[in-house]
Amino acid sequence: MTKKAFLAAVLIVLMAPFASAQASGGATDKTVAITNARIIPVVGAEIAKGTIVIRNGLIAAVGADVAVPAGAEVFDAAGLTAYPGMIDGYSSLGLVEISGVAATADGRETGRINPQVRSLEAIRYDSMHIPIARSNGITAAVVAPSGGVIAGVSCLLRLDGWTNREMAVKPAVAMHIELPGLRAGRGGFGGGRGAAPTRVEAPALLAELKQLFAAARAYEKRRDAAAKNKLLALPGFDETSEALLPLIKGEMPAMISVHSERDIRAAIQFVREEGLKAVFYGVEQGFKAADELAKAGIPVIFGSLYDSPPVWEDGYDALYRNPGILAKAGVKIAFSSSSASVAKDLPYHAAKAAAFGLDKAEALRAVTINTARILGVDKTMGSLEQGKAANIVLADGDILELRANIKKVYIDGRETDLSNRYTELLEKFDKR
Amino acid sequence: MRNAALPRFAVFALIAAAGLLPVFADGGDILIKNATILTVTKGVIPKGDILVVDGIIKEIGGTIAAPPGVRVVDAAGRFVLPGIIDSHTHIALAGTNEGSEAITPEADVGTVVNADDTAILTALSGGVTMVHTMHGSANPIGGPNVVLKTKWGRPSEDLVVKEALPTLKFALGENVKQSGRTVQPGQTQRYPATRMGANAIIRREFAKARNYMAQWDRYDQAAKAKNPPRTLVPPRKDLRLEVLAEVLRGERVARVHSYQATETLEFMELAKEFGFKIQCFEHIWEGYKIADEMAAAGIGISVFADSWAYKMEAAEGIAGMAGYCHNRGVLVSINSDSGERIRRLFNDAAKTMKYGGLSEEEALKLVTINPAIQLGVDRIVGSLEAGKQGDIAIFSEHPMSAYTRCDMTIIEGDVYFDREALVKEREQAEAEAAKKAAAPRDKGGVS
Amino acid sequence: MRHSLRGSASLVLTVLVINLVALTVLPPSAAAATAATPPAAGDVGPTYAIRNCRIVPVAGPAIEKGAIIVRDGLIESLGPVEKTNIPDDAEIVEAEGLVAYPGLISAFSNLFLEQPARAAAGPGAPSEAPTQARTQEPEEDRFPPGPGLFVLDQLKPKKPTVESFHKAGFTTVLTAPARGIFEGQSVLLNLNGEPLRPMVIRNGAALHINFTTERGGYPSSLMGTIAHIRQSFMDAGYYADRQAQYAKGPAGLKRTEYDPRLEALVPFVRDRKPVVFQCNNVEDVKRALKIIAEFKLNAMLAGANEAWRAADVLKKSPVPLLVALDFRPPASSLYATQGEEARKKAEAEIYPANAANLAKEGIGFALVSGSNGDGAAFLKAVRAAIKAGLAEEDALKALTVQPARYLGVDKSLGTIEAGKIANIVLVKGGIFDDKAQVARVFVDGVLFKYAEVSK
Repeated sequence: MTKKAFLAAVLIVLMAPFASAQASGGATDKTVAITNARIIPVVGAEIAKGTIVIRNGLIAAVGADVAVPAGAEVFDAAGLTAYPGMIDGYSSLGLVEISGVAATADGRETGRINPQVRSLEAIRYDSMHIPIARSNGITAAVVAPSGGVIAGVSCLLRLDGWTNREMAVKPAVAMHIELPGLRAGRGGFGGGRGAAPTRVEAPALLAELKQLFAAARAYEKRRDAAAKNKLLALPGFDETSEALLPLIKGEMPAMISVHSERDIRAAIQFVREEGLKAVFYGVEQGFKAADELAKAGIPVIFGSLYDSPPVWEDGYDALYRNPGILAKAGVKIAFSSSSASVAKDLPYHAAKAAAFGLDKAEALRAVTINTARILGVDKTMGSLEQGKAANIVLADGDILELRANIKKVYIDGRETDLSNRYTELLEKFDKR
Repeated sequence: MRNAALPRFAVFALIAAAGLLPVFADGGDILIKNATILTVTKGVIPKGDILVVDGIIKEIGGTIAAPPGVRVVDAAGRFVLPGIIDSHTHIALAGTNEGSEAITPEADVGTVVNADDTAILTALSGGVTMVHTMHGSANPIGGPNVVLKTKWGRPSEDLVVKEALPTLKFALGENVKQSGRTVQPGQTQRYPATRMGANAIIRREFAKARNYMAQWDRYDQAAKAKNPPRTLVPPRKDLRLEVLAEVLRGERVARVHSYQATETLEFMELAKEFGFKIQCFEHIWEGYKIADEMAAAGIGISVFADSWAYKMEAAEGIAGMAGYCHNRGVLVSINSDSGERIRRLFNDAAKTMKYGGLSEEEALKLVTINPAIQLGVDRIVGSLEAGKQGDIAIFSEHPMSAYTRCDMTIIEGDVYFDREALVKEREQAEAEAAKKAAAPRDKGGVS
Repeated sequence: MRHSLRGSASLVLTVLVINLVALTVLPPSAAAATAATPPAAGDVGPTYAIRNCRIVPVAGPAIEKGAIIVRDGLIESLGPVEKTNIPDDAEIVEAEGLVAYPGLISAFSNLFLEQPARAAAGPGAPSEAPTQARTQEPEEDRFPPGPGLFVLDQLKPKKPTVESFHKAGFTTVLTAPARGIFEGQSVLLNLNGEPLRPMVIRNGAALHINFTTERGGYPSSLMGTIAHIRQSFMDAGYYADRQAQYAKGPAGLKRTEYDPRLEALVPFVRDRKPVVFQCNNVEDVKRALKIIAEFKLNAMLAGANEAWRAADVLKKSPVPLLVALDFRPPASSLYATQGEEARKKAEAEIYPANAANLAKEGIGFALVSGSNGDGAAFLKAVRAAIKAGLAEEDALKALTVQPARYLGVDKSLGTIEAGKIANIVLVKGGIFDDKAQVARVFVDGVLFKYAEVSK
């Protein structure tokens, strides 16, 4: 048996018992009423004591004086606070199991230009990391490919479902473009170990992208001409151009990983010149170009705050104070875990930023409604409002706080299983 | 918002380190007022003062009058706790592994302390005042480690904590086997390449050390005799075996990097066989599987909160580990093993509240008194008690809150990290830079 | 041994014949304008009377208008010109407007070493990558012969290098080996011409040790290196003790196994032969001092470009410092790891003041050219050190009497005094002036001409 095959076998054996933690309980058409909860809708005022009614997977009603429908399953949430489920703006959930074991990692395709790669198609829906994140109140996550210059297309998943397709909220969320980090290894997962390849700077990369986009536009025109005139030869299939067209035509935004002040400015200009919809990711030196970002109306998703400041002169707290400064300048911000194995820590990045100047309410918005708006799913999630999906978290405290315990997590109205790899192993050995 | 000027604190530190300016006007005296004091061992004082004189805590609680000339810090609304202790890290060293051979206890990290490592500043910004900085995990037997205080700007000899228990780093498992490495053509794989070999090589070395000690005993006896024979030859002094002899004599304790349950239990057998003390297992992600064994043997653990799933032996690591072992009576410390995580140790400790049900007080122990006990320095640090050294951190919120931040770090009464001063310097530097950028350039005028 | 010939026809004939031989035997460049007339074997060379220059003997006060008599490679006399008798056999060297200094001594260089020299002021922090080489037990002969290696065997003198150093005022250099931990033994050279052997003042001048690692073997880390150095000295002491014990009476004792490496180390650990530690940063200084104390070595520290930061420790345990004027902050230094601006500032303002700071603390040192093979660049660095606060007088001492004393040759070199070796440089202007030009250089009494003396 080859080493790889053996490894895969070991993993299947290890993972198998825990796939069941993925299971969701109950049918979607149940009516549930959560009563006596403190409700933080995120959009709209806090409700000191109220009720949320769930029907057909949606929030049918939320308020202080909402009546409990007849036949509804009632849960008395006295002492608990209801929040919208959190949304992770960038992760590798489902793509990476054990980062050091290549057979279990599918986040990084080889090569530089890969717009045709779609993360949804590699999602391991019974990854052990998904229930762990879910049990800490995260109900949806962007799962992004990484590596190269154009890494591929990310998806937005609800963290509950029997297959990857079932989990897909948006099969294609954004086209990921990566510009060089402030130091080797920054930007994307895994970091750079060993010698960094010769580095191409952002201006050269953006110029290359412009050429690719121009080629794709020309390709489309030629293809349309052939469609109208059957006498014209049909151009050969060009995978790269085909994959880029939704981005170029504005049907999909670009999520651009960009890090240094200079590159942020160059990327703002690039986005404007190419007429793209864009979100920026990483943006570690964003505080130096805050006004430009605000003026350009480009939202920002931060990378993990669990990192050292990439540039010493920016100060020890550069990553921590960055979100507060951008928010004050009027930039729409959101947080990400940028992880699979510690995706559960999403809320603590927000809290860390709040310790260094970000308004607490904005910190909460930056893991809920802001993220939903940036991803274009704010009609269906991100806040506790009537008509949105019933993605609800019940906690015994502030969900951005380390001391808070998550008691229940509903996704699309279903109460999800909070057991996970952590709880199962502990229970097993507790029986000794 | 251009940030052209170097943060003045760093420049200050540079000049100070050049020995051209006196850095510490406090001289080991400081009075902190109006704070919520988390003593760790003697409960919480909701509002009180704490006075440090000549580097030692003189008085805690109540209202204390400021002695003349002593710096006063008003910590109203803030939380005061003992300086955080990181029981397992690799900062402030010029090199951490002697990987060319498997057994290298002669290589002592105490000889390569680097007081210029900026990771010390990073540690200070997270309230850390003491670190046990160690060999890496390349070798079954690595070598001696050293305990340092994070006294940035002081010469390296001033950082060493002489009171600490001498320790020896051991390692088991994947890193030692070098399982991730491909052997280059023309080279042989280093022995040991299996966990069996790792145990065998450690057993061999202790057997050699025992034999070495016997050889010296025999010689010493013969040399003491009235007329020792002319042909009496002493054994060759071997630095490597000397260190192992210290372990066998109980003068040095073992700190053992291990992950799997079996290799851990087997190492405990080895320790019993040769009669030496295991102070802690490091990382020990499967520790929850053998918590009772470790508690019974009086062995502590020094672990992560939740950094897992990066290699096979860490695939069954659970976030509840630290809390679970604590509840079973194991002495647990949370460590960073990282020059970045070191500044969030308090956040990591806090996770045991959620994943282990620990109270705020218990969670705080995991990064204060517990590591102090493990390092043998609990008589001088690890809690806020009169008579202990004035190693103190001041936080904006309770250290177990996700919203907290470290505002000041004090070691033996001297301020080594002051966020307020740093921010003020930065704002001044930015204001000056902005003025310069905005000012029109006159011909021949002063710019 | 050179003999002096008396004036006679036979002398004239002999000199003529010898010069003819010299012109044919020596390479053509030897006869070029910038070269001297080096004496052929057996000959002693001309007697010189250098007159009307300002003399800075360093041993005493300057003589404003003086004369120096050089005969048979030695300084015969010096004094005010009006009190000096010019001997009949002397060739006059008109030196009005010039200043005579003792030939400068660099007590640490890598001159004439073919292999690339170590990177100056390197981080001292070796690569972490463990190697694959070792199996179960370390093999015999683990370590390179290092201590028994004589760098003299590797040297290839080059004329341009000699010229470059002459033009910077140097007559004497110690050339040290530059590879490995126990690098080998250096040689002290007088730059008196082209062939190597006549240059040698002392072979095996000192044992050189560097805080680096063995690439691809043990030790691969700095802490391993330190243990290895200690164990080596320990083993050498043990080796010497066993040999002594055996020599006293071998009956009943096992013969000591020959070990060339340990054999070479014994004189340094038992007989106080000098050892030089290359210190790449402030911590290396402290590391070296600990080892020196442990084994009671007769030692010096070379490199030491941030030695001022260890002033307290050095004052407690003084050792001679051979300070290289490398102003780059070592990679491990806090000056190098807090941004590029800070690093550049440190290189421009803080490190050049190393020597001045040491002087202020009363710590003795010599200035050395280190791995610098360009004499002019070295003088530029000396000027920068002076600008940063080092007194010119101290700089000159650090290039003359101090190194002579440290190397144990102060009875024959380092000053212009009667009886000492005729190593003299004649400079237009002060030797540390920006525009200084070296006009003439005497090494072992051999004259080298450089810049023209304007008359």
